[in-house]
Amino acid sequence: MNVIELDGVSKSFGPVRAVDALSVAVPEGCVYGFLGPNGAGKTTTLRMIMDIIRPDSGAIRVFGDRDPLARRSRIGYMPEERGLYRKMTARNVLKYFGALKGMPRASLNAAADEWLGRVGLARHATKKVEELSRGMHQKLQFAVTAVNDPALLILDEPFSGLDPVNQDLLREIIDGMRAAGKTVVFSTHVMHEAERLCDFIVLISRGAVLVDGSLESIRSRHESRAVSLELEGDSGFLASLPGVEAVKPAGRRIEVELSDRADPQDLLRALVERVRVLAFEIKQPTLHEIFVKLVGGGDAEDS
Amino acid sequence: MQKILRVAAREYVESVKTKTFLLGLLMVPVIIVGIVLVSSRISRDKGTARGPIRIAVGCESADLFAKVKASFDQHNLTHSLRPITIEEMPGDGGGDQDPGKKKLRQGGVQAYAVVEGDPNGGDYDVRLYTHRPKPAHMDALWTVESLLRRAVVDYRCERRGLDRAMLDKIRCVPIERVELGAASGEEQVQDKGHQVARMMVPFAFMYLIFMGIVTTGQQMLSSIIEEKNSRIVEVLLSAVSPFELMAGKILGLAGIGLTVTALWAVAAYGGVRWQGLNIDVSGVMIGYFLVYYLLGFVLFSALLAGVGSVCNTLKETQSLMMPIMLVFIVPLISWFKLAQDPNGLFARVLSYIPPATPMVMVLRLSTGSDIWIGEILASVALLAVGVLATIWFAAKLFRTGILMYGKRPTPKQILRWLVEK
Repeated sequence: MNVIELDGVSKSFGPVRAVDALSVAVPEGCVYGFLGPNGAGKTTTLRMIMDIIRPDSGAIRVFGDRDPLARRSRIGYMPEERGLYRKMTARNVLKYFGALKGMPRASLNAAADEWLGRVGLARHATKKVEELSRGMHQKLQFAVTAVNDPALLILDEPFSGLDPVNQDLLREIIDGMRAAGKTVVFSTHVMHEAERLCDFIVLISRGAVLVDGSLESIRSRHESRAVSLELEGDSGFLASLPGVEAVKPAGRRIEVELSDRADPQDLLRALVERVRVLAFEIKQPTLHEIFVKLVGGGDAEDS
Repeated sequence: MQKILRVAAREYVESVKTKTFLLGLLMVPVIIVGIVLVSSRISRDKGTARGPIRIAVGCESADLFAKVKASFDQHNLTHSLRPITIEEMPGDGGGDQDPGKKKLRQGGVQAYAVVEGDPNGGDYDVRLYTHRPKPAHMDALWTVESLLRRAVVDYRCERRGLDRAMLDKIRCVPIERVELGAASGEEQVQDKGHQVARMMVPFAFMYLIFMGIVTTGQQMLSSIIEEKNSRIVEVLLSAVSPFELMAGKILGLAGIGLTVTALWAVAAYGGVRWQGLNIDVSGVMIGYFLVYYLLGFVLFSALLAGVGSVCNTLKETQSLMMPIMLVFIVPLISWFKLAQDPNGLFARVLSYIPPATPMVMVLRLSTGSDIWIGEILASVALLAVGVLATIWFAAKLFRTGILMYGKRPTPKQILRWLVEK
């Protein structure tokens, strides 16, 4: 079952087409990454899923339902622009948002305290938000996002602006959600985060899908035909092997480029028959490389 | 609906807790009491020193001049701190060459009185010349007038052989106003202050609305600006719809307005009773007031929710507040006319212009004049329609405006949001 289905969704702001006939399906129980350069339309798409802005055309279904009111209480959303009431205490902020998300009054206290404990703020429960440090602020923001135990978590650029400790904490929360069978959707332009966390990704550029699918399928589709080798003894015979297109030395290693049809396993077999193989690595393209290749560089960032 | 109430409750509680709110709540009565005390002190206190005033007097009759001089001398005797000295001028029948006028222009004297008339009849008139009078001298000039008048009356009496003291006695008829209470034997002598206070009652009821509106407005704007500046809006919108958020704010802050008005009304009523004034407001009247107050606050906070949502700083809101406040100031400055003629055309027309309706109707009702029930119902109905229209309009602005950071939208953009579905 798909938790989120976007069907030909478009949205323009004046003359700018922010999202252009976008169709995406997010399966249940996965971690799904919306990737793309800045200005690709990620935030607009997530906001439309949250019914914060409405699409010009197309249909959005969340939990199979088109009615936006019903879905809010089952989603935890962390926008790119984050903030909390500065004058309220940490516990009251959590209780307030819990109540807004439709939690029963009786369970508010328990849920607030549980989440304060989970993000390590139990000792600061009665402090006002403005008295908290920036890092604690970020932790409280996660807790607010997840306090109602949502079945779907939508995070817009969740890692931007986080200190390393909180980045780890957020990763833990995401992993925990996945383990509990929940769905997490997040957007990022930091590729290695997506690589580390996502089961599925969609790569968006200028409001349209460039590529989508599971991480493995995308990788294998863009698998480079390159193998990195380290051999004992003479390697002059390499160029004459079937399927080898080019050979270039790279330090102690040798980079071999294969033709499209060739199987790296055949190459390994051929090598083992002739020399001792010290190292054999089929080079996996990183998402970053795929991204740069598809988008054409420039906008990609790796941090 | 539950979410709206949740938002309203938070708005209310957080607004009540702010220092500015508490300060405002306490400051207004303190300031009013202060003004009353200070002004009554000042008006009683005639003894403050003032520099001497010099006036020139040109008088054809030496006899009359002696009377004028006696009149001023007596004043200087009893008011030694506020002396007025006079000097005689040989009047030469007017014209610019008159030495008195010359002296007045040069600043040697602050006023120049010419006492002239038919010497045979003896009925003199007075012409008092001033040259660029200072506001500080206004008070003294009134004294000068009354002193001159007394001198002329004295002179006229003498010429006719009338007894001045007897005349004063004849003219003096003391009238005491006594307010009869509901119970027999309950009587209260009313002095001038009581009468003025009674006249101010309708104004007070209208002013309560105005103060409530101002407080509500300030809280609404600061609440919206805070949410925009702390980037909390989007977090909120993931839990509630823009309309729920706005409706909650409007309800919560209309509640603030009602609280403020209620507290001040109780305080004012207590003060009035303490001063021995009897003001009866019937229960029906209070019912009407509540309806008008509540609708008025809702209308105003909806208006400000729309306006506030397109602004990013409190400073930006100021320029948009001006025209809105103007609508509320019109009834405020014309209260006297409205109170004098509560069923006049002006009052009736204003009653049906929704932003002004609550203030004007409360004023008209509290004057105690008979207003046909149909008129009241019609004004409430029109006000309710106005409230709904304002909420509709504000919701359109709010939905888009609340997410705009940085730049303020142009009027053209705002128009587009309004027609957008």
